[in-house]
Amino acid sequence: MEYDVVVVGAGLAGMRAALAAKNNGVSVAVITKVHPVRSHSNAAQGGINAALTDRGDTWEDHAFDTIKGSDYLADQDAVEVMCREAGQEVINMEHMGVIFSRDAEGKLGTRAFGGQRQARTFFVADFTGQALLHVLYEQTIKSEINVYEEWFILSLIINDEKCEGLIIMDIKSGKIEALKAKAVIMASGGLGRIFEPSTNALICTGDGMALAYRGGAQLMDMEMVQYHPTTLKSNGALMSEGARGEGAYLINANGDRFMETYAPNMKELASRDVVSRSEQTEINEGRGVDGCVFLDCRHLGEKVINEKLSQIKELAYDFANVDMTKEPVPIRPGMHYQMGGIKTNIDGETKIPGLYAAGEVACVSVHGGNRLGANSLLDTLVFGRRSGEHASDRTKTERFSSIDSKLIEDQKTLIQGLLDQPNDSEMFGSIRLDMGKTMNEHLAVFRTQQGMETALTKISELKNRYKTVHVPDKGKVFNTNLIFTLELGFMLDCAESIVISGLERKESRGAHTRIDYPDRDDNNWLKHILVSLKNQNKIIEYQDVKITQWETQKRTY
Amino acid sequence: MEYAFFPGCVSRGACPELFVSTIEVCSILGIELDYESMKGASCTGSGILQEKNQKLGDTLNARTFALAEKSGNPLLTICSTCQGVMSQANKRMSENPEYLKEINKSLAEEGLEYSGNLEPKHLLWAILEDIGVDKLKFLVKHPLQGLKFAPFYGCYLIRPSTALDFTGHPERETALETVIEAVGAEVTDFSGKNLCCGFPILMINETNSVNMVARHTDEAKNNGADAMVTPCPLCHLNLDGYQPQASKAAGHTIGLPILHLPQMLGLALGIDPKALKLNRHIISSEKILSLLFVKP
Amino acid sequence: MEIELKVKRFDPEDAKNTPYFKGYKFDIEESATVLDSLIKIREEIDGTLTFRCSCRSAICGSCAMVINGQAGLACNTKLLDLTSKSSNEVLIEPVNNLPIIKDLVADFKPFWNKIDATNPWLQPNGTPPKQEYMASNEAMLNLANVMACIMCGACVSDCTVLNVDSNFLGPAALAKSYRFIADPRDDADKSRLSEMNESGGVWDCTRCMQCVEVCPKGVDPMGKIMETREKIMEAGMTNTFGAKHATAVSNHIEHSGRIDEFRLPLQSKGIFNFKEIIKLMLPGLRFALKKRAPSPFHFKNPNQTFVKKLFKKVEK
Repeated sequence: MEYDVVVVGAGLAGMRAALAAKNNGVSVAVITKVHPVRSHSNAAQGGINAALTDRGDTWEDHAFDTIKGSDYLADQDAVEVMCREAGQEVINMEHMGVIFSRDAEGKLGTRAFGGQRQARTFFVADFTGQALLHVLYEQTIKSEINVYEEWFILSLIINDEKCEGLIIMDIKSGKIEALKAKAVIMASGGLGRIFEPSTNALICTGDGMALAYRGGAQLMDMEMVQYHPTTLKSNGALMSEGARGEGAYLINANGDRFMETYAPNMKELASRDVVSRSEQTEINEGRGVDGCVFLDCRHLGEKVINEKLSQIKELAYDFANVDMTKEPVPIRPGMHYQMGGIKTNIDGETKIPGLYAAGEVACVSVHGGNRLGANSLLDTLVFGRRSGEHASDRTKTERFSSIDSKLIEDQKTLIQGLLDQPNDSEMFGSIRLDMGKTMNEHLAVFRTQQGMETALTKISELKNRYKTVHVPDKGKVFNTNLIFTLELGFMLDCAESIVISGLERKESRGAHTRIDYPDRDDNNWLKHILVSLKNQNKIIEYQDVKITQWETQKRTY
Repeated sequence: MEYAFFPGCVSRGACPELFVSTIEVCSILGIELDYESMKGASCTGSGILQEKNQKLGDTLNARTFALAEKSGNPLLTICSTCQGVMSQANKRMSENPEYLKEINKSLAEEGLEYSGNLEPKHLLWAILEDIGVDKLKFLVKHPLQGLKFAPFYGCYLIRPSTALDFTGHPERETALETVIEAVGAEVTDFSGKNLCCGFPILMINETNSVNMVARHTDEAKNNGADAMVTPCPLCHLNLDGYQPQASKAAGHTIGLPILHLPQMLGLALGIDPKALKLNRHIISSEKILSLLFVKP
Repeated sequence: MEIELKVKRFDPEDAKNTPYFKGYKFDIEESATVLDSLIKIREEIDGTLTFRCSCRSAICGSCAMVINGQAGLACNTKLLDLTSKSSNEVLIEPVNNLPIIKDLVADFKPFWNKIDATNPWLQPNGTPPKQEYMASNEAMLNLANVMACIMCGACVSDCTVLNVDSNFLGPAALAKSYRFIADPRDDADKSRLSEMNESGGVWDCTRCMQCVEVCPKGVDPMGKIMETREKIMEAGMTNTFGAKHATAVSNHIEHSGRIDEFRLPLQSKGIFNFKEIIKLMLPGLRFALKKRAPSPFHFKNPNQTFVKKLFKKVEK
């Protein structure tokens, strides 16, 4: 099996990359552990940002909001690319069939979103991600792209420091094979399940980051973990920022709109890190109820709620037993997004020739210390497309190399080893839960040196326990327990890199807020932290933030 | 209790035995049927007219409701399809006063107006909600002991549950089982009881339609049923009328008698099977009558 | 609370190769969903239990299964709504109408093939405009309802027609097709409508409303099928049994207020379609022998003039 370009993951970034590569005339396959429409891009609710010049907006304004939102950690050249290309990307999606909400004239309508001075978020009710994902899936059917559904990636094939393919396993049969590629685009999404709770789907296990890390790529900005301000108390489900975009309030136990104190201008629509910190402060200082504050949508009226927020209305009803039109919804900050990831340039290239990355798995870096709401969908599409274009161009001068069959045998041995583990040890679940609780305790909204050190010790303990984990299902067909166990291995690597990076950054910036270093320190820390593996040793490197035209400023909302 | 009686097309067409047995049973249950007031009512549209023009269908039903309101009596149906179509139309109109207002404009010429407040009721529900199971049990003269009935509701009497007010009336969900037990018979459960009989596509895709009949009747029979009972004459047309074809499709004779709800009630209330016109069925009911020691 | 889950298991690699039920009794919080309980089994009690799930918030469509006899999503079905004072038992089975791979995991290949068969992508004419296509928000909102479909397969699982005929495209694919038919930007309506007019398309639906009832996203697939039928007839494609049937019923009500059971079968088949009409004779004869043959002299509603007028008044 060989393809010029192999894309890992069939969310927005992956399918956009695959389409771009296919349109460039090369052979393309998409490998995904779930069917494309099951991907986690589905869960993006609020919308996608773009500055459309014909509505009086400018890409520069969007770029500034993004950079300010990132707490000046984003690389400004990358942000410029993203914001310049945003408009065209949204129009492309509309032409493919996305049913964006319209204004009275019939043009695309916008809603306000956090951290932005302009309403530039294009949306489909409150299921924008799903609406985009299903349309991209339609396009992959139209373009007859080969999709390997329910295949799992075991390892990258790195030869002479070049990426030449993948070792993959068919979940439905347990068959292990090598897949040759002239370029691999990693678009496998985030790592939310490292934290417990998290808004992320159970499939978000950091596979791509860990695979690339194990293959020698660099992970950048890993300490930057976004806690979303509005997640449901009961199960951590996401309540879209679109609610606040439509005008919902955040209130504390006394019914006060506390954001008036923390962000007098933008209030509920300040950047996510700011709102989450404010909520956590309210809760910590005793003005919450049961570890929560409230999202109050009552004044929006039934029509707005039913037309624009129908999905979260259902979520609140199903999972919190609350009728949003009549009562405030108890919410709290919850782990939501990883700003960091595999370091790439603006064309998706990583340090390893032939290996690209795009979407949440990657770090270009456009989000820096804190991602703006509705910039993640944009990131996936712009850098997905750019990766697909660049990777497919590259393949035109590359050849397939032969693959050492030992690599397949190694993976078979590894899996057999897991299956042969005696049944008296623990399963993956308890280790994952311990990891999740540790991360959520020590790497949440507020962090300390001591807490993160505790976490690091705990993660290394968990890595030890992982060595004897057992898989009760010995079968080959749809052995999900085996898959979860392999995923846990990926997650532990990612968790470790988050903690290491967090300990390294001795300042507070964006989502990384340290009680022991409460201020931003531009003199020493206007730089990225990069973690990589060399001969099994962890290497930490730094890279200065690229500043083009926006100097750092004090950040207030 | 007096009702404005809406018998539907089929009980006055290909299932005359339903009409007759309803009259017989209602007189014993103390239900007075005001047929006169409803004589000018039209077909509900049966869901088919609604495919072409939903608003027209709703208007015809609003007219029927207005006729019933004029009579001063609640509306009674004896057909799952009529009931479902009416309930759905009623939901649309009662939830949207503007829509109802527009519809009433069309009715004005005939001097009719629908308030939006009527609740059309199937005989099956009326027995539970207005007559009462206790009274039914009290009136049973000839308990159908030893007989096993498989209930077959007909789609429109169970879906969509929102239009049928299952939240307000949870007993409706198992009404047929309740009645089967009230007359002393035993319920035979089978997976097809809530499914479609296939009648709506009989003229469109006979193979599928007949296969549905075969699947349901065969399953009920295999589960031990002596007969099947249905509150829907359209289901009856297919389950009884096309059972010979279904037997052919199944490759063996199924031979499951299908009774209209009032016929089952009638047997228990001591009405002569002849008066219930059981002999009009395509699949003979003789076997169950002999089990009851009644001469057909 | 204590709960007992009876889960249908199937191990394709087991020599016996037959499905069986396995019971799991345990305590769980009252707020738990079916999915929570299945995850608890998988992570704490029996690691071999296999099912798909991902988002936990009714958006990815992975966890459709048959819960107490009705298809739905495990993630948004609360245990408390399924149990009662008398019973804390919940029956869990895989979806119907699709082959089973293992335990609760079904092979969705036939499902996706049917979606693919509807050419499910936007097909506008000509080159796209520089900016967006203009469209009304109402048109987009109307589509939002059907775009909310998460392809979970609950409707396909409980579809009465698929239960007897695997050729039927099924509610999910038919709703997907409608999504383009109703899109003002799409110009392939004609070919889409004529494909939906074929065997296995919209006319094979029995209007049983199972799909409406079980859809976890309120998509109302059957409503979309009915709207497609309407558009097919409006487009002049009336030479099917289905269209003739619908037209005949409408005509009967317009002319006499009641369905004319004598003429309906003849008109549905087409009165010169001798092959089909001969087929009608045997069942017709059976009915006649039981004195149930509908009379050719059709009844007429005494107030029919008013009904007729309503047909004129309520134009589309």
